[in-house]
Parts: sequence; C-alpha cells; structure tokens
Amino acid sequence: MSKFKQFYSLAKSDDHQGKVKKMNYTNQMNTIELLNITKTFNNHRAVDDLSLSVPKGSIYGFIGPNGSGKTTTIRMMMNIFYPDSGVIKLFGREHSGSRINNVGYLPEERGLYKKMKVREILRFHASLKNANNINQEINYWLNKFDLTDWANKKVETLSKGMSQKIQFIVTIIDRPEIIILDEPFSGLDPVNTEVLKAAILELRSDGATIVFSTHDMGVAEKMCDYIFMIHKGKKVLDGTLSSIQDKFGTDTIRIQTEGGYATLQNIPGIEKVNDFGQMQEIRISPEADSQNIIRSILSKTYVSKFETAKPSLNEIFIRIAGPEEKEVKNA
Amino acid sequence: MRKIFILTKREFITSVRSKSFLIGLIIAPILMGGSFFVIKLTEDKVDVSDKMIAVIDHSGIMVEPLSEVLDERNQVIFDEETGERIRPAYILEIIEPAKEDLRQQRLSLSNRVRNRELHAFIEIGPEILHPGEDNEKFRIMYYAENSFVDDVRDWFSITINNQLRQLRVAELDIDSELSRDLFFGIRVEGMGLLSLNQETGEVNEAKRSNIGDAIAVPYIFMMIMFMIVMMFTVPLLSAVMEEKIERIAEVILGSVTPFQFITSKLLGSILVSLIGSGVYIFGGAITATQMGFADSVPYHLLPWFFTFLLLNIMMIGSIMIALGAACDNSKDAQSLQFPAMIPVLIPMFVMFPMLKDPLSSFSTGLSLIPPFTPMLMVVRMATPVSIPVWQPVVGLIGVILFTGFTIWISGRIFRASILMQGTPPKFMNLVRWASKG
Repeated sequence: MSKFKQFYSLAKSDDHQGKVKKMNYTNQMNTIELLNITKTFNNHRAVDDLSLSVPKGSIYGFIGPNGSGKTTTIRMMMNIFYPDSGVIKLFGREHSGSRINNVGYLPEERGLYKKMKVREILRFHASLKNANNINQEINYWLNKFDLTDWANKKVETLSKGMSQKIQFIVTIIDRPEIIILDEPFSGLDPVNTEVLKAAILELRSDGATIVFSTHDMGVAEKMCDYIFMIHKGKKVLDGTLSSIQDKFGTDTIRIQTEGGYATLQNIPGIEKVNDFGQMQEIRISPEADSQNIIRSILSKTYVSKFETAKPSLNEIFIRIAGPEEKEVKNA
Repeated sequence: MRKIFILTKREFITSVRSKSFLIGLIIAPILMGGSFFVIKLTEDKVDVSDKMIAVIDHSGIMVEPLSEVLDERNQVIFDEETGERIRPAYILEIIEPAKEDLRQQRLSLSNRVRNRELHAFIEIGPEILHPGEDNEKFRIMYYAENSFVDDVRDWFSITINNQLRQLRVAELDIDSELSRDLFFGIRVEGMGLLSLNQETGEVNEAKRSNIGDAIAVPYIFMMIMFMIVMMFTVPLLSAVMEEKIERIAEVILGSVTPFQFITSKLLGSILVSLIGSGVYIFGGAITATQMGFADSVPYHLLPWFFTFLLLNIMMIGSIMIALGAACDNSKDAQSLQFPAMIPVLIPMFVMFPMLKDPLSSFSTGLSLIPPFTPMLMVVRMATPVSIPVWQPVVGLIGVILFTGFTIWISGRIFRASILMQGTPPKFMNLVRWASKG
C-alpha cells in the first residue's frame, strides 16, 4: 500500500474517531457539514467525495498543497460553486442557490473598489450584509487595526497590508456566526499577522465558528482546534493536532551535535534527516531502535541535545504531500 | 431585494458620477444636433463672389443665348429689401476652340482653374442641337475641381437644355406664346393621408410630406437608441472584466448571488439610460417645438420607444456582463465586443432601405427577429407609414421572451466563468459554460 493510501485510510478512521470525539467533547451541533461532496472541472476532479463536520465555536484549519482543492471546497461552502454531488449544510440546513446570512467570507484573492473611500466601502459591504450598528462597528475595527486616519482615504492609496486589513473588516463587519478565511495571513508582516490572529481569536471568543486555510503550519498548529488536510481533492487528515500526531507515532528525533548534518549520514535506521543548521530532525524507520541510533551518533560526534518527539504538522504535511510521497506512489 | 437595491444604487451613483456619463450626456446631443445647427447656421453663408466660367462652344449656337440668360440672372442676385448680394454672379469668358491642339487648350484652362482665375470651364459639343450617331459630338462637359457637387454645373445643365429646347421649337416654327407652356413643369407634391378626428368627427387634412417626418424622426429615434445602448451597455463588459481581474467579484459574490449581481448591474444601466434617453428625447422635443416642428414629434411612440429601449438594454447588457465575466484581458474583451454589438449594428446598416419601404417583407421580417426588433420596429413605427398593429405586439412578445432567454444564458455563463482565470472565452467554452451553468 502506498504511503498516500495508507494516510488516506488513516484519515478516514481518524475522521470517524474525530467526529465521535467532537460529539462527546462538545455535544453541540456542527455549524458546517459537508457530506460526500464532489466537484469536477473539465475532467479534473478538484474535490473527491469529501466529508467534513465543523463544530460550533471551533477554529478549523484547512491545509493542503497548492491546487489540492481547498479553495474549491471553501467556494462550495459559500455556494459560489455548486457541488456535482453531495450535500452542504450550514447551520444545519442546505442553502442551495442562495447566499447565507451570518457568514463572512474572505477570498484568497482580495479585491476592493479602488476609487471608493475606506469608510464608504465598509458601509457598502456592511449594508449588503445587513449589519447592525454600522458606524460603531466600522470605528471599532478601524481603531483596532490602526486605520482610523485612513477612513476617508481612497482604497487605491492604501498599502497591500492595509488593504488586506480592510478586506478582513469587510468580512467580519456584521459579526457573522461563521467566518471563512482563505489564506488570511498571506502577504502580511509579522506585526499585522499578530493583529489579525488576535482579531480572529476575539471573534471566536464571541462565539463565531472559524474556518481558515493556510500554508503556515505553525499558525495552524497554534491556532486551530481541528486540522483538516486535503490532497488531490481527497481528505487525508481530519482531527485535533494531537490525534493526528498520535497516528504518526513518536518516530522523530531532534538532535544537536558538534558534527552537524554530515555526521548523521549513512547511519542505519535513519530514514530521513531534515537539516535546520543548528539542529537536525531525524525520522527513524519503523523497525529501528532509537537507542541504537543514538549510540551510533555518539560514536561519531559529541551530542549536546537529544529528544524524541512526535512529528510536527509541517513534517506530516511534507510526508503526505512532499516529493517522497510521489516517489513512493510511483514505485 | 434589499441587496439588489444597494448594489444598484452603487452602480447608478458610480455611473452618473463618471466623466463619460456627463460627457456623453452633453457631447452626444451636441454631435447629433451640431451638424444640423451648423447647416442651419451656414445655409445663408453662400459664397457671393463672382464666378468666372470659360465656355468653349463647338456648336457656335450657345454663346449668345447663354449670355442673354446670364445677364438676366445676374440682375437678380441681390436681396430685394436690403440690396445686399445674396448670390454670386456668373461671368462668361468665351474661348474660341483651338484649331490644332484641343488637349493643350483644355490643360491650360485647367491650370487657370487651379490658379483660381476661373471657377470652371465648359466645353459644348458641335452637334448638341441635333445629336447624330457620334456620341462624342453632342457632349457638354463641365471641368472643375469638384464638379460633382457644384451648383454652377446644375445651373448650366438646366439652362443649356432649356435653350436647346427653345431653339428646337423655333425651328418648328411654332408661335412662341404657345410654345411657352412646353417648358412649364409641374412638380408632383408628396402628401400624407387624410384622417378622421375621433373626438370631433372632422376630417383632418393631409399633411404635406417632408423630410423630417419621412427620415429625420425615425433616424433620430434610431440614433438615440443606438447611442444609449452603446453608452450604457458596452461599458458593462469592461466593468465586469475589471471586477473579475481585480478580484472584486468574488468578494461581492460572498454576499450576493450571481442573479442579484447581474440584476443590479442591469438595473443600474437601465436607470442611467433612462436619464440619458429622457434628456435626449425631451430635449429634442423641446428643441423641435421651439423650431416650429412640434407636429413632427411623435409623442404617441414614446411608450413603445422606452419599452423597447429598456428591453434592448437588458438584452445587450446581459450579454456584455456575461462576456465581461468570461474575459480576463482586454484583448479578449475587444475581440468579443464587436460580435456582441451586432444587434445594434445590423439595424444601423439596414435603416435606409427600411425607411424607403417600411412595409416590405424584408423590413417586416427583419424587424420581427428579436435581437433587431427594438431598433427596427421603432424605426418602422416612426415613419409616416401605418404598420399593422399586430407587428409591434408580436415583436414585443418576441423581444420579452428573447431577453429573458438571454439573461438566463448570460447568468449561466457569468456564474461558470467569473472566477475562472486563464481560460480564453472561445466560442466552444462559452457554449459549454452556457450549457453547464
């Protein structure tokens, strides 16, 4: 069985367990439910028999390589695309052909009318979304994102980061119950990333359910209650970070040595070495003994730090979607 | 409805605030009315300077009569009241035909025309009184820089032929008093039809037919509809394409459905086009009334005009929106813009044959083809000819059905293509999007 298939079957069982766990954990309704949805474009199956349940009040992270089907799935949630088959439920019911109130959507590619002023465009979108206390909300968010001085400037005068923050305010101006964000942090500097993270967490603490896609595995690990990975249109991971990591076992050793990367070559039992310069991350083969490996390393160099660990989300991502997976699959 | 209203309001405000709207509203009537105004303004500004015309008379019979007629003509070139010269005097320069090199003589006279010494020169053939078998011998040739549209040529043509007739009659030895009537022509006057006044029961006299009723009124209706459609639907293509390229469309589609998006765009266009056409129509009607043509304004046609205009805006506008969604670069947009404008271009090409015979099977058939109906039916109805009542009604039903179909198809193309990048809007792709939605 290829590694891809192995992970896929693992994800299926993980999904099942995850659902049970969620139901037991929160005992509350799923705000978003996708049941066996499929979408094909020009003979290319972008999303393949995908099912997903997002519990109310959770932060759900979508990860997956470029072109894996994340954006298509999100657009189907938003009713912008219709699935070829399957059912999508928001707030417990289907909304075929209509826009759902109380859902905020930040697309991957942002766009605002450039000739409109910031306050004007926020008012426009707030009216479209039938928001309450429009002026109050606009002032609050402009102040929070340090954009008050730009309220009467045209959008075309804003920097990319500022436009992105305005776009985020547009998304959440009506305080929606579901917030769907496609790559919300892309292109933001670390300071603005932190500001945006804080805003997302604030909205979650107010009761919103948040789904966001990201390529930043660190953000997904730290912020998400649940992580969902899609690869080639299929679901390959779904669950909490620890449940996902548990499936991959403790097959990772983080090590700091005097000899560095070169001394870790050609040691039996080491499947792969990730070199971070000052530190290396070793993946050991399933049949190998970590004690034998450390003995082999100690015979070659001085070890200053050594720990066994679960694989990071980044490592798991690469194992599923990286070139290795292709090699294994094509073998 | 609330979302449609908000989007329509934005579309409307953006349109009326744009420079192109204001310029279109002001410049288009100026261009349209301007030529008419310039003609009116310049019709009295005739060049009254003397016009010297050289005559080479091979027949030897025309110089004298021509000189006599010209003497009489040159007496009546002044305004009777003011005494001001209102027409140019024609002065003859008689040239003896060259005996040897006639071509050289013509060349030298041509050069004199070029040097502005002469206005033109006329060469009269030797057998004009009794034309024989040789065509070359009874020709009368008028040489000038722009002889085709020269009033002087017309004057000489009429005058020489009148003189020839008189000479021929004189040869028959008929009393000149009796022969006078031979040259009295009577014009056939074009009249409209009499009608019965339904209120008073009196018979309305027939109106004298004129160029205004026969051509100007239908032409103006056609031009207004053409301009309005061009001004307020064609920009929809680039506006939607820009919203697609700038990724604005997806943000908006997060809050509204494609149907609401398209509807609000069409409603925005309809509102601005109502303002535009209102300004043109009522401005034109007021101007016509001021200029004494109040009877020529067909007020009874206005409901039909506005109904067909709105349907035309919806039909062409929805096509433009769909094509804008399908394009992601201006090159594609330019190549699609022309075919999309065919419903307004074809009527422009066939307008004049249609004005000549609005009841022909060609005119009737073409005006009942839904994409062309809005413009052509209005043109036919605006002529003085009575169109059978069923035709505008059938045309209207056809346009309503076709417009509904166009909006439906456009909606499918829009939804399938608005978020698609890098797929060219080839014909087969458009068909696929339209069929799959």
